[in-house]
Amino acid sequence: MSAVPAVALAPCGRCASPLEAGDLRCAVCALPAPPVMTMVAADHARVLRCRECNAAIAFSPAVQAPRCAFCGSVMEVEQPVDPVEEARIRVPFAVPREEASAALRTWLASRGWFAPRALAAEAVLDSLAPLYWAGWIVDARVAVTWTADSNAGSGRSAWAPHAGQFETQCANLVIPASRGLTMRECSQLAGSYDLARAVPLDAARDEGAGEGSPLGSVIESFDAQRSAARALVHDAIEALAKIRAEPHIPGSRFRNIHVSCLVDAQATERAALPAWVMAYRYRDKAYRAVIHGQRAGVVIGKAPLDATKVAFLILAGCTLLAVIAILVLTRHR
Amino acid sequence: MQFACEQCGASVDFAGVSSAACPYCASPSVVERAPAPGRALPSFVLAFTSDEARARTTLGTFLGRRRWFSDGAIARAQVSGLRGVYVPAYLYSAVARTTYSASIGEHYEETEETTSTDASGKTTTSTRTVTRTEHCPLAGLHVGYVTDVVVSGSAGLGDDELQRVEPFDLRQLRRHAPAIISGWIAEDFARDQAACLARSRTEAMDSIGTRLRRFMPGDNHSDLTWSTRLEWEGMEPILVPMWIAAARYHEDKPPLRVVINGQTGAVHGEIPISWLRVVLAVLLLVGLGAAIYVLTRHGR
Repeated sequence: MSAVPAVALAPCGRCASPLEAGDLRCAVCALPAPPVMTMVAADHARVLRCRECNAAIAFSPAVQAPRCAFCGSVMEVEQPVDPVEEARIRVPFAVPREEASAALRTWLASRGWFAPRALAAEAVLDSLAPLYWAGWIVDARVAVTWTADSNAGSGRSAWAPHAGQFETQCANLVIPASRGLTMRECSQLAGSYDLARAVPLDAARDEGAGEGSPLGSVIESFDAQRSAARALVHDAIEALAKIRAEPHIPGSRFRNIHVSCLVDAQATERAALPAWVMAYRYRDKAYRAVIHGQRAGVVIGKAPLDATKVAFLILAGCTLLAVIAILVLTRHR
Repeated sequence: MQFACEQCGASVDFAGVSSAACPYCASPSVVERAPAPGRALPSFVLAFTSDEARARTTLGTFLGRRRWFSDGAIARAQVSGLRGVYVPAYLYSAVARTTYSASIGEHYEETEETTSTDASGKTTTSTRTVTRTEHCPLAGLHVGYVTDVVVSGSAGLGDDELQRVEPFDLRQLRRHAPAIISGWIAEDFARDQAACLARSRTEAMDSIGTRLRRFMPGDNHSDLTWSTRLEWEGMEPILVPMWIAAARYHEDKPPLRVVINGQTGAVHGEIPISWLRVVLAVLLLVGLGAAIYVLTRHGR
C-alpha cells in the first residue's frame, strides 16, 4: 500500500489484522489483544493511596479515574483509546496549478450540446485551491458468502433463490472519509491514484512529491473517531462484496443480494489524497469542479445548461408526441 | 478469605469479592491475586460512568412509573442497600461457519376469473389479480464473526437479568487495574467456566439465527434449519458495572431486586403482578361485555 511502516503491534492471532497502539481488542474479529502480564507473587489486599496526601482513594465515575476524597487529586490511569482519525500518509500532487486550470477549460469546452456555447470562453475562474481529502486505504482478504434472487431457474415466479461463496482480495480499496467532497466526487477520484507514490504526511512537501506539489494545500481532517471509522470501513467492505458477488449470481437479472463477510488480515491506512477544487462563475452563478491531483483528465463537476436548448428540446418532444397522437387518432377514425 | 487492612491492621473479610472497605477505618482495599489454574482473573473492566445520586434517580423513576397490573405498593417501596458492584462476566467471540437450508417463498401474481350470478339470474364475470407464493429449496454456507457476547460469571446475578440491561458500550473497555475497582465491590468469578462457555455458545447460536433470517433471499422463508461450527473461540473474563438495589414494598413479601447498568443506566426489575387488579380488570371487562349484550338485546 505505502512505503510507510505500519504503526501496528503484533497482528491479531485470529484474523491476522494488525493491531494499533491502544487497541485492547481486534477491530475486525474482536479477539482480545495479548494481555500485559503483571507479576503478583502471592494473594494480598492493598489500599491505593493518594500521592499527594497519602489518604485511601476510590474510583470516581465523574472523572473516570481514582480521586482522593480529601485533597481532590486525581490519579492517572489508562483510559479507553478512541482517538479522532488522522492522516498518516500523503499521496503527492502531480498536476500543477496551470495544468489544472487548463484541464477545467478543456472540460468546460466538452460539456456537450446542452451546455451554453460560450461556456468555456465566458466562465470566470473564482478560485483554484489544492486540497488533500481524507480517505482510508484498506487491504484485506475477504471470504464472502452470499444469497440472492435471480431469474435463473425460476418457475411460476420471476425469481428463484441462489446462494454461493467466493474469496476476494481488497487491495488499495479507497474509502472516502471526506465531508467537503461528495461521495460521488470521491468515488470518481478514488480509482486513479498512484498509491505507490505515497509519502509520510510529515515529509517535506517537495520530497518525492513531483513538480506539481503546491504549497499551502489544505489537509482535510477525518472528523471521525477510530471506532466509528472502523464501522464505516466494515460497511464499505460489505458494499464492495455485494458488487463483487454480482458476477457469481446466475441469470441475467437479480435482486435481494445479501452478503456475510469473514474479513482476514485487514490493514487500514489513513491517507490524504490530492485534488484541485475549483469554483467558477458563469453569468453570475457559481459552480464547482474537482480535478484529480494526479490525473488532469479526471474532472468531476457541475456545468450550466442552456435554457433555450432545453426548452427547444422539450417543445420538439411535445410536438412529436402531438403529431403521433393525431396520426393514431386519425387512423382509428 | 480474610486479609489484614493495610491502613489499620483490622481483619477484612473478602469472601466472594476482590474489593471491600475495612469496617473499622473505611479504607477501600483491593485484593491482588497471583495467577492460578482454575481461577479466572478479570482481564478488562468497564468502569462506572454513573454515580450513586444518578442511580437513585433512575431507580426512583423506575419504581414510580405507573403500571396497570403491578402492586401499587411498589411506588412507595423502601429502597435499601443501593450498591455499585463490578459483576464478573465473560466476553465471548468466535468464527462461525454455518450450513443452512430453508424453503424460500417467491411471490408471483396470477389473474383469476370469478363468475357470479345475482338474484335475477344475471351472470357477471370479473377478473382480479392474486398474489401467490412459489416455494423453492435453498441450502448454503454462511460465515462471519460472532462478537460481543457477554454472559454472567456471577453467582448472584444471572444471565437473564444481565441480558435485560445489555448492551454495554464495549468500546470503553480498559485493562483491569486495582485503581479502577478501588472503593467499589468487585465480585469474584463464581460460575463454572464450562457452564459459561455453554451459555455463550447458546447466545452465539441465537445471534447467528437472527443473522440468518436477515440473510435469506426471497419474499419470505420457512423451515430454516442450520448447523454451526464455532472456531477460534475466545472467552475473556471482564468486570461490568451494575447498581443493585433491594426495594421492600411489603413486609410479608421478599424485596424486589432492581439492577441498573452502571454505564448506560438501563434498568430492570421483575415487578410483581397484583392479582387483585387483574381479577378486577377481568370482572370489569366481563361486566362491560354483559352490559353491551343486555343493551343490544333490549334494543331489538
